[in-house]
Amino acid sequence: MRDFITKSKALYQKHKIWFNIAILVILVVLPLFIRQSYLMGVLCRILLYATLAGSLNAINGYSGQTCIGHAGFFCIGAYCEAILATRLGLSFWLALPIAGIVTAIFGGIIALPTLKMKGIYLSIVTLGFSEIVRLVALNWEGLTGGPMGIKGIPVPKVFGMQFSGSHTYYYIFLAIAVLFIFVTGRVIRSRVGRAWISIREDQLAAKSLGVQTSHYKSMNFMYGAFWAGIAGAAYAPYVRFIDSTMFTLDEGFNILSMVIIGGQGTLVGPVAGSVIVNLLTELLRPVGQWRMVAYGLLIIVMMWWRPQGLVGASDSILSGNTGKKRLSRKAKKGVSA
Amino acid sequence: MKKLLAFALSAVMTMGCFAGCASQQEQVPTDGNIKIGVLAPLTGTNAEYGKGFEVGTQMAVDRINAAGGINGRNLELVVKDSKGDQKESSDLCRMFGDDQQIMAIIGDFTSGACMANAPIVDEAKIVQLSPTASNPDYAGMSDYCFSIMGRQDGEAPFYAKYILGKYMGVKKLGVIYINSDWGKSCFDNFKSQCDEEGLEIVEAVNYVQDEKDFSSLITKLKAASPDVICIMDQGAVPQVINQIRGSGWTDIPITTLGPGTSEQLIDLCGENAEGLLLTSPFFFDPDDAELTAWKDEFIKKAGFEPTIHPVCAYDCVSLLAEAIKACGDEVTRTNIRDNLAKVDIVGVSGPLKFNEGGDITRQYLICGVEDGKYVVKEGFDYSKEGN
Amino acid sequence: MEYFLNQLINGLCQGSIYALMAIGYSVVVGVVGMVTFTHGEVIMIGAFASFYVFNALGNNLLLGVVASFAASWIIGMIIYKVCYEHFFSAPRHISLICTIGISILIKNLAQIVFGPNQMPMLNVVKNNVYKLGPVQISTVQILVIVIVVVLAGILSLVFNKTKWGIALRAVSQDKTAAYMMGINVKRTAMIGNCIGCGLGGVAGMLLSIYYQTLSATMGGSYGMKAFSSSVLGGLTDIRFSAIGGLCIGLIENLGITISSASFRDVFAFGFLILVLIIRPQGFASKKGARP
Repeated sequence: MRDFITKSKALYQKHKIWFNIAILVILVVLPLFIRQSYLMGVLCRILLYATLAGSLNAINGYSGQTCIGHAGFFCIGAYCEAILATRLGLSFWLALPIAGIVTAIFGGIIALPTLKMKGIYLSIVTLGFSEIVRLVALNWEGLTGGPMGIKGIPVPKVFGMQFSGSHTYYYIFLAIAVLFIFVTGRVIRSRVGRAWISIREDQLAAKSLGVQTSHYKSMNFMYGAFWAGIAGAAYAPYVRFIDSTMFTLDEGFNILSMVIIGGQGTLVGPVAGSVIVNLLTELLRPVGQWRMVAYGLLIIVMMWWRPQGLVGASDSILSGNTGKKRLSRKAKKGVSA
Repeated sequence: MKKLLAFALSAVMTMGCFAGCASQQEQVPTDGNIKIGVLAPLTGTNAEYGKGFEVGTQMAVDRINAAGGINGRNLELVVKDSKGDQKESSDLCRMFGDDQQIMAIIGDFTSGACMANAPIVDEAKIVQLSPTASNPDYAGMSDYCFSIMGRQDGEAPFYAKYILGKYMGVKKLGVIYINSDWGKSCFDNFKSQCDEEGLEIVEAVNYVQDEKDFSSLITKLKAASPDVICIMDQGAVPQVINQIRGSGWTDIPITTLGPGTSEQLIDLCGENAEGLLLTSPFFFDPDDAELTAWKDEFIKKAGFEPTIHPVCAYDCVSLLAEAIKACGDEVTRTNIRDNLAKVDIVGVSGPLKFNEGGDITRQYLICGVEDGKYVVKEGFDYSKEGN
Repeated sequence: MEYFLNQLINGLCQGSIYALMAIGYSVVVGVVGMVTFTHGEVIMIGAFASFYVFNALGNNLLLGVVASFAASWIIGMIIYKVCYEHFFSAPRHISLICTIGISILIKNLAQIVFGPNQMPMLNVVKNNVYKLGPVQISTVQILVIVIVVVLAGILSLVFNKTKWGIALRAVSQDKTAAYMMGINVKRTAMIGNCIGCGLGGVAGMLLSIYYQTLSATMGGSYGMKAFSSSVLGGLTDIRFSAIGGLCIGLIENLGITISSASFRDVFAFGFLILVLIIRPQGFASKKGARP
């Protein structure tokens, strides 16, 4: 079995581009074979959450900061698009990047005070921020429609084609998810990404080697927030109606658990997390009200079985490997070999 | 290995999912059970209401089937848990839309979920009849969207005009309402009627869902020294009443709009509920054997006293049954929609007839709490005047 | 002025409720050294335990305290075994997610077992309203404030002066060093966690007496408030956590006085963020705040 895995892994590494293209092609033609809009809806949800969890992973997984209020960024993005589209009549394709940029600015604002903070203090600031955003959206009637929400958000159009149902909208979510993974993959391998990872592994060491930690940390927050904003902006015309009840803290926890279950610090991790959490909650429907109990259990089992997540970065500090342990493990390997 | 594992797993799960749903009938069945989809938040913070939905709709179906069904065919419910989450609700709504055997949808609980579902039901041409959606914009979003909660442009003005203006004859009102789509539209309608009637709102305070402590709001109201307190909410009314009385403010009359003649309210308030005045579209008359039997059956099945929500859910099934009956042999989704718009029956919650937009215009009663029981206030000449 | 004073009293009472929850929370975090999201559920379990005892055996406050403390202690043991013991050397976010998982589990299980609707908790304590000049205060409010002050006093005495309390703190600060000093780390941490949970359970009972109602979903918002109060106080210090709770209660109610209750959490979190910007460790001194 192990042999098979290593072999297929090698095969994958060898023909990486072809594999990726094949997966992409399968994903592109998938809607042609699925007639049920329900399944397409679930796929849309998976892709949406893959982007959301991925953007959270960019913060939590790559620079080791613990943001737990990601729903706030999601909320800003969604409202931004909705307001631009309904009030100013801006086209979706223009509103999407604007929403992303606005959210990134908010990400930058929230990153500034948190630079000094560590661990849980930073977490609660993001949590509080998320709740403040939601309450502002609920109360600022002039801008956000208050408790009535915003309805009638126009659907995106391109060359006269409307993205109205889950079948067509799937492609928007897919494009965003693919773009996100592609861009993030590039960023991670760049100087910026390496700086993030060095901050995650050892902030002091990174600092002493000349990495401007505060600069890179706030950039990291802005990057994660940007994609959460994009995801939110794509989500708003999909449902065509948004109100503040969609962006509660539970939503943030949900995204967080996808990241952790899938695995932090890798590109596939959040995707896997999104697939597993969304599909399992759907597949668990037959057990009725025990569904959420099973979901809670799943999270715990996952943490016991694979603390670094299903496909998490097993060689990083996130999986519980402190420097010493890693060394000793390597030493052991050396002995046995 | 990690990546492969992830892809393999996701691929297997996705394929499994498709395989499970691959075979499906496409044509509309003409015999066998008529299926109705129910979207209810069976888990999550609104589980209380979801449970009520489930029991209420099932009771209605059991009764209809026991009486021989509709045109010889039985009704069947397909209850799905939406967790009160719009995304899940929308996907389930699509599932019902895909399944040609489902003839209509009852649900969801929150207005937000219902409104997110509106474009989906519009596309699938299937009725979405919500027992509780109260956003004034909801029913107008699609021809296939119906709500029986009643828009607040009926009840709130009734409350202002008849209970406060005529029955109590008060002038200065202190209002406390929930800051939700429902509470906001109540308050707006209430306010415009108050302006018309010459009632003065001396202080209006609001709070968001899940609020627990109302003491500072009560102090605020107290400082404005109103003649009467008006509470507009459905869930937190008992806490507000308890905290008003608990703060030693025992001489102020309290009125409420929203919970209806809910027995839970009396349970949760005990003595504090005494003297409470409220408006309600229906009333469990203890002398009415049928209604009492209904209530007892509900308590037996659900384990708690019914509020207005399960009653509305029950009526939703009655309405649909009536619409299906009118369809005769041609039970199709569009036929149900057309007939539903024309249905005119008397349900547990009162007479039901949809207006142009797909909302119900209701008749309201003035009820009060005396000796731990609800009584209908009568003996005033405008009791029949309401709406 | 009278109005303002009354609002101040409201804030004080609400603050003392938060303080009550924050005390238990900071004991948990102080001893285990990990942040938990289960405290709301622990509070809920305590409330339900006392609810059933009051229903079965009459309104005996002492029995209620014992029942809620015991029930939450047991839940605390489970939480400890599931979320902490295994993960002492792992990164913090793992046990954090575990606590989120068990919180989802307990909450939904409670909805199935206890039923999803609200339950009344009426007339457990005879509620009189006392008027002191312009302000008024009720029996339950006095009860809560007294309990908070007494608990905070006793607990910080125990933690700072007794040998056993020092062992608890040693465990919280450095598990390896504590182990080398001959302290049974796992047992001490578990007992500390259970005490914190037990206090949360008692807080749950008092909360439901105070608000006269309880439900399976009550935990969420309370847990969040307990969390923020303790963060404000620096997480591990009991007295500062209590003060943190009081501050949040006061700020919230003053905020409501000048605007609307819809902004309650905006004031709470806004204040919290402001304090954290100025003092990244909360109120406590840098030494005390570890996680």
